[in-house]
Amino acid sequence: MNSIRRIAHLDMDAFFASVELLRYPELRGQPVVVGGRGAGRPEPAPGGGWRFARLGDYVGRGVVTTSTYEARACGVFSGMGLMKSAQLARDAILLPANFDAYRHYSRRFKAAVAAIAPCIEDRGIDEIYIDLSAHGEDTLALAQEIKEAVFAATGLTCSIGIAANKLLAKIASDLDKPDGLTCLGPADLAARIWPLAVRKINGIGPKAGDKLDRLGIRTIGELAAAPAPLLIGEFGKSTGAWLHRAAHGLDERPVVTTSEPKSISRETTFDRDLHPRHDRAALSRIFTALCQGVADDLQRQGYACRTVGIKLRYADFRAVTRDLTLPARVDGGGDIRRAAGQCLKRVPLEQKIRLLGVRASGLEAKTPSTTPTAARQGELPFDPPS
Amino acid sequence: MVLIKTQRDTLLAPLQSVSGIVERRHTLPILSNVLLEKRGDKLTLLATDIEIQITTATDVAAGEGDGAVTVGARKLQDILRSLSDNAEVSLMLEDKRLQVRAGKSRFSLQTLPADDFPRMTLAEGETRQFQLTQKAFRQLLAKTQYAMAAQDVRYYLNGLLLLTEGKELRAVATDGHRLAFASVEIDADLPRQELILPRKTVLELNRLLADNDEPLAITLAPNQVRFAFGSVVLVSKLIDGKFPDYERVVPATLKNHMTASRTLLLQAMNRAAILTNEKFRGVRVVLGDNSLKLIAANAEQEEAQEEIEVQYSGDTLDVGFNVGYLLDVLNNLHCDDVQWSFNDANSSALVSVPGNDRFKYVVMPMRI
Repeated sequence: MNSIRRIAHLDMDAFFASVELLRYPELRGQPVVVGGRGAGRPEPAPGGGWRFARLGDYVGRGVVTTSTYEARACGVFSGMGLMKSAQLARDAILLPANFDAYRHYSRRFKAAVAAIAPCIEDRGIDEIYIDLSAHGEDTLALAQEIKEAVFAATGLTCSIGIAANKLLAKIASDLDKPDGLTCLGPADLAARIWPLAVRKINGIGPKAGDKLDRLGIRTIGELAAAPAPLLIGEFGKSTGAWLHRAAHGLDERPVVTTSEPKSISRETTFDRDLHPRHDRAALSRIFTALCQGVADDLQRQGYACRTVGIKLRYADFRAVTRDLTLPARVDGGGDIRRAAGQCLKRVPLEQKIRLLGVRASGLEAKTPSTTPTAARQGELPFDPPS
Repeated sequence: MVLIKTQRDTLLAPLQSVSGIVERRHTLPILSNVLLEKRGDKLTLLATDIEIQITTATDVAAGEGDGAVTVGARKLQDILRSLSDNAEVSLMLEDKRLQVRAGKSRFSLQTLPADDFPRMTLAEGETRQFQLTQKAFRQLLAKTQYAMAAQDVRYYLNGLLLLTEGKELRAVATDGHRLAFASVEIDADLPRQELILPRKTVLELNRLLADNDEPLAITLAPNQVRFAFGSVVLVSKLIDGKFPDYERVVPATLKNHMTASRTLLLQAMNRAAILTNEKFRGVRVVLGDNSLKLIAANAEQEEAQEEIEVQYSGDTLDVGFNVGYLLDVLNNLHCDDVQWSFNDANSSALVSVPGNDRFKYVVMPMRI
């Protein structure tokens, strides 16, 4: 990359919660939590309006999917158990997730951005990268135009970060949330990025973060100052080198506009932990349903898979995964169930299970006629070796 | 102590001929090194990866004394290569370090003791020896090696079968989808013996052998083979396994024969290959009266069609092939015409050279 790129990261503000507020505007300004499975569906109140469920009344094992900024102020964040978050914000409103609505607004905001800047990398339901390098206009004016277009199309606000690459743009979009607009120039690296915690770098999770912490590296600046050989020694060649480059704000990844899915998966957390033997029938039913769900997703999206994997989380939160690569690609529920069953035989089943997931990877698109799958190379007829 | 003082190229050329097999990352550090051994005017270089060992020798302007040391092969090679062409280089052994000096450049390299360097012992037992020209053996390899498997679980396919019988040396390689066979006459009369050369040995020999009429002496031992040519001696272990019976898959009777100009066919195939599916590389070969059509299409539904004039009066045929397998054979032959014989669209096809039974290439069709 010779010329300087202009990459924007656009992140919708508290997306799920904000979509809910469009539907229930009377909740604006209150702490609202989206999560759980079906529980807490608002009921029409006598005399108009809705009767909402309170977080404090929730019983179950659901987790917070999103929370409004008001709820975040009470300490309630995504991923937290609902009952645990109720201890922090008893009176927060609880709403069940409504994915159809989120997908609808997701399509709308992406279409609005695409009308202005078509080079978009889809990063999920509520965030995208946009390559603005080819645009002549002033960066801030262009970003402001995008924000206004998103608001006009959805009534929702977003935060945009703009920098020379995806890594910095992602960090930048988080610097001024909600409804923020942050543009980072080369000079801002030391002043605005280096003081941040290393975990602000997308890709440094709890494990790497803890390890860096043990090395006395807490901020991105400290990471940048760490000698590359030390990082390579601790994290291996590629991760070590990446950490060093990331801390110096270097990232050459292009904005990938057409992305093929890498895998398709379904998983579920049980209402109560299930025992492999005592709850065998229930487990088996859920397992088969998950496999069928994955098969449905594959068929709907026009893929077949070569690898089937399972994921198990035990009652003690330890997780295991197992994969099986098949000789030929499959997309049927029965085939996936059989392969996943093989995987299941390879995991210890002594303690109770909390979560079960099935994943199809090694995806191949099924295109008609010239379909590569029909191509089958013949084998020379040697005697099977004795 | 100045060990060697000589022109850069006097050192670089032999170093390059041994260092090709040195692995960059190895569990045994000494294996990234090359052994330098100086006796009188003679410098011997030796490198090994435990499976293969290459030795070469060169005459150097005498330094003060004799000595032996091992030093990082890549580093020494990179240093020599980056010096100017006519630089005079001296190697000095000083306190367990090898000093490399040229003009105002100084390099101090760490060494490991020569005594620790693993050497392959020559195999005991009965050996047989024969000789042919470097060119003849190199061509034998060139006509077959591309059909070797690379990382097959059938480990014996990741190599090349050498077979002696009477006054003939045969080479066979296959990856299970296609098979290449070539043979050459040798100067000895030998009993039938088979051995499998590892893939790396084959590639290395192909790199080192010259296209000339200088002799190559091959010594076959029970689990080892030795190639001596020019100043190089290469000793390789063998793949211990049973190579599949290649004669079984060479079709005995074929009813449809097509003859075409190799160059025309190759050019048409190169063009058609552009629009084959990247992964499967399937091309349809449609044969009619004196005509051969190639049809390729990729996942984006783009399509290529080629038609060339050939000599053919057999059945009308429509057969799919991996175009890579066809390009491989056409690229590695040097004849004017090739013959291509078929039975039907589902069984193996044979590519051969008219009037020459020393080469055969069997390829299975691909159902497209």
